[in-house]
Parts: sequence; C-alpha cells; structure tokens
Amino acid sequence: MKDIFKDILGIEGVHGVIALDENGRLLLSRFSGDYREEESRIGSVHWNSFIPEFSDIVEAEFVFERRRLYVRKIQHGFFMVVLDDIAPVSMVRLNCEVLQSSLDRLKPGGRFGQLFKKRRS
Amino acid sequence: MTPKVLLVDDDTAWLEAMQKELAEYADRFNVLAAQDGQQALDVLAAEDVSVVVSDLRMPGIDGFELLNRILHQYPDISVLIITAYDRPKTRDVVFKSGADDYMTKPVSASDLTGKITRALKKKSEGGSLHNVSLETFLQLVEMEQQTCTLRVMNKSAGKSGALFFRNGELLNARYGSSQGRKAVYEIFSWAGVSVSIENQCPVSEKQLEGELQAILLDAMRTKDESSEAFNPEEEEAESRSPEQSRDEILLDTPVQNRRDSSSNPEAETPPPASEKAQPAAAPKARLQQAGPAETGQAEPESGAALVRQKINSSLGNEDDVEDIYEDPQWHYLIEQISHMGKIFNTGSLHAIYLNKGRGKQSVIVPGKRAAVVLMNADTPRDRIVDAVM
Repeated sequence: MKDIFKDILGIEGVHGVIALDENGRLLLSRFSGDYREEESRIGSVHWNSFIPEFSDIVEAEFVFERRRLYVRKIQHGFFMVVLDDIAPVSMVRLNCEVLQSSLDRLKPGGRFGQLFKKRRS
Repeated sequence: MTPKVLLVDDDTAWLEAMQKELAEYADRFNVLAAQDGQQALDVLAAEDVSVVVSDLRMPGIDGFELLNRILHQYPDISVLIITAYDRPKTRDVVFKSGADDYMTKPVSASDLTGKITRALKKKSEGGSLHNVSLETFLQLVEMEQQTCTLRVMNKSAGKSGALFFRNGELLNARYGSSQGRKAVYEIFSWAGVSVSIENQCPVSEKQLEGELQAILLDAMRTKDESSEAFNPEEEEAESRSPEQSRDEILLDTPVQNRRDSSSNPEAETPPPASEKAQPAAAPKARLQQAGPAETGQAEPESGAALVRQKINSSLGNEDDVEDIYEDPQWHYLIEQISHMGKIFNTGSLHAIYLNKGRGKQSVIVPGKRAAVVLMNADTPRDRIVDAVM
C-alpha cells in the first residue's frame, strides 16, 4: 500500500480509493484488506456513462442507504473514496484537501508510480 | 456568572486529565466535558457555554461537523480545535472552516488555559456595562453604527443571550438554541442586564426582519400581552428600589466605533439567481414559499414539496435554502449512480451533493420527481443532506 493513501485508508469506515480520468477510465484503485472483493468489482462499473457529466464540479457526494462515495475533481479526472455511512466524512474531505496537489499529478496512461518524484541519479 | 468551557474529545483519559488540571482555574472558568460531537451538542443545548475546545477525529459527529453546527446554531461561541492529526494543510482547513484557534497535541494545561483566557477576553474586548437599560444602549449602538456582538446577561435569572450587530443593524439574536425573533424577544424582556461587547460580528446576513425600533416595540408589545403569565424573577427585578432600577450604566472600557474589514455588506452579497448551480436548461416545477393552493401544486407527495417538508421539520426553517425545485434532467444520472451503488452493495441512493465552486452547492434528492435543493454558500452541507434523507 502506497503511503500517500495510508491516512485515508486508515480512517475508520473507509473501504478504498479510486482514481478515474476525465472520460471515466480507471487510473488506479486501492482498497484496504477487508474490501478486496469490492475492488474486484470496480471493472464492471461503466464510469464513462456518467462521470464526464461531473466535469464542472469541485466535489460531490453520493449518499446511499449504507455507504457514501466522496468524489473530488483532480486535474486530469476524479478521485473517489468509498466509505461507510458512519465514517467521518469531514476527515475524508480534509485528507483529500491535503492530498490534492499529489492527486493532480495523476495522469491518464501513466502509472501510479508517477505520483512520486523520480529519483535523479 | 463564571464562563463555561466545554472540552470535547473521545480520548477519555486526556479528557479526565485535562478536566482535573483546568479545575485549578475555576476562578476564571468552569469546565464541562463531552466524549463526542453529539454529547457536545446536548451540552450546548442545556448549558450556557462560552468556549468549546474540540478534538477533530471523533466517532459520529466529528470535530469538523461539530464546528459547522456551532457556527450555525451558536455563532457567538468560540471554537478551539485541538488535534493530534497535524498535517500541513490541517491548520488552513480548520481556520477556513471557522475555528478561532488551532492547537496540536500534546498540549499543556497552561497553554490551553492561555488560549481559553484569550478567547474569553475577546468576548468583552469592547467593554462591559452593568445594570443597563438595554433599549437605550441598543439605540446607541444603532446610532453609532457599531459592528459588534453583545452578550447580554440577566444575572438575576441566570440567563444570557447574544445580539449581533453589523453597522448598527441588528442582524440576529441567540438565546439557548433559539435564534431570530424568539431569541430577541426573550432577551429584550430582561431588565437591569449586564452587557459585554465584542468588536466583531460573526453573522453576515440579516435574519431579523424590520428596523431595531420596530423590533423593540414589537418585543415590548409581546411582553405586555403575555404579562398575564407572571414571572416572579422578572417581577423581582422590576420591583427593585428606584436607585437600583435607574439606568445606571457602568462602562469598564469605552465602546469603540470599530468597523472591521469583514463588515462590508457588499462582500457578503450572495450570487445572483442567474448564477445558481443548475444543470442544462429544462422545464422545472418550482415550488416557492407559497403554499400549495397559491402555487397550484396540490400534490403533497411531489418531490419538491416532500423535500421542503423534510427540511422544515428537521431544521425548523428554510433559512439555509435558496430554492427547491423539481428537475427531470437528473433522472439519467440518478439511475447511473444507483446502478454503481449496486456494485458496492450500498443500498438505495438517498442524495447527491454537488459543489460547483464559488459557493454553488446543491443536493439532488431522487424520487419519482427528482428534487433539487439549492443552498447558500455557507450552508453546512451535512445539515441539508441529513434533513432530506
């Protein structure tokens, strides 16, 4: 698990995080141990059918009966957090605010490793 | 009246230790404690608290949500955030959220006392007046176009409340968890009060209709009409000796004619209706404040009417809401998001919150006819989301 998401995934009730590009293509996903099954189902969501509709948002929340999805616009797409209804959503928002500049470096076609600066020899 | 300070933290060991240490300063303030946000709100509803010191990370209502609710329900109460979760942006986000101060754990009792004392001093930085005629003093505030928060204490009854003035205009009042007319009438009914003055006003929008003079007269009339409901405490206060009841104004320090930079009403002007967050143009069934008979929308089960009803029953008013209307254009997205929810075993979709920046925020409520709630820029989102669910 990459350290960059450690704080978010460590919040009680947070299942995992997903990054999508502007067209709804999956860039990365990280789920904590108990929610790996959910992670395996991500591929079956047609993100491109609705995510582009949110191109003008700063952030959004989809509030369901038992869970929430917190969505944040990043430079090249969207960052999503899947959390239980009881999870402290304000803390999730704060962590996303803290991570914003790192998340903005996520690029379509790139790898997750591009989040981190390359070491120069 | 010794001011009360409420400590909120789910770390009971820290809470108990700090309570014990702060007990040494009982001559300056009394300490109350709560172990989570909900308990803190219960204490605030029952006690007259001046300062809240809260942790950020707590189960249920966390520090941010508690801060939101205090800013909305108790705008005159100072909130100090204390946390072990110190990250580069945490301080910025905490201050941006409206907190008065920020500290990182570990914090010593003497440091915390220093911060609390500073917050308490600020509440009377403009001076204090004792045994004053409120009517006379308020007219002075209006005449001098003061921007201030007045804390009014009715010591004989052990009650206190706050009045919020901006440029001499009475914007709102708070008494307990009541605001608006109810609060102002209660405060105006007190005789021989003490007043402390803070040279700033946390309220920016006028929530009381009418001029001060009209509100004062109305309050007096209401008081006269309800005088059959005899209140022995008031009677005692009013029947004091002529010397006592004379408008004896004792001013500790002079009232300053201060106008802070935030007092510019133009800076607080809400965006024009044309800028409200909306999806692409579509026929919308608007339901304004008028009742069904006036609008021609008789169906009580309609999406917007139902949402309005929920907000009213949960919040008691629609002060935070700019508009509620139905918009069929959201149905496709609601379907797609609901479908996505099935993948994550989320249960049914209850609400979609959207923040489009520049104060444009809205909540879409699914239903046969999807309803859209447009919110004020400073409306705490969770209050509306909770209300419509």
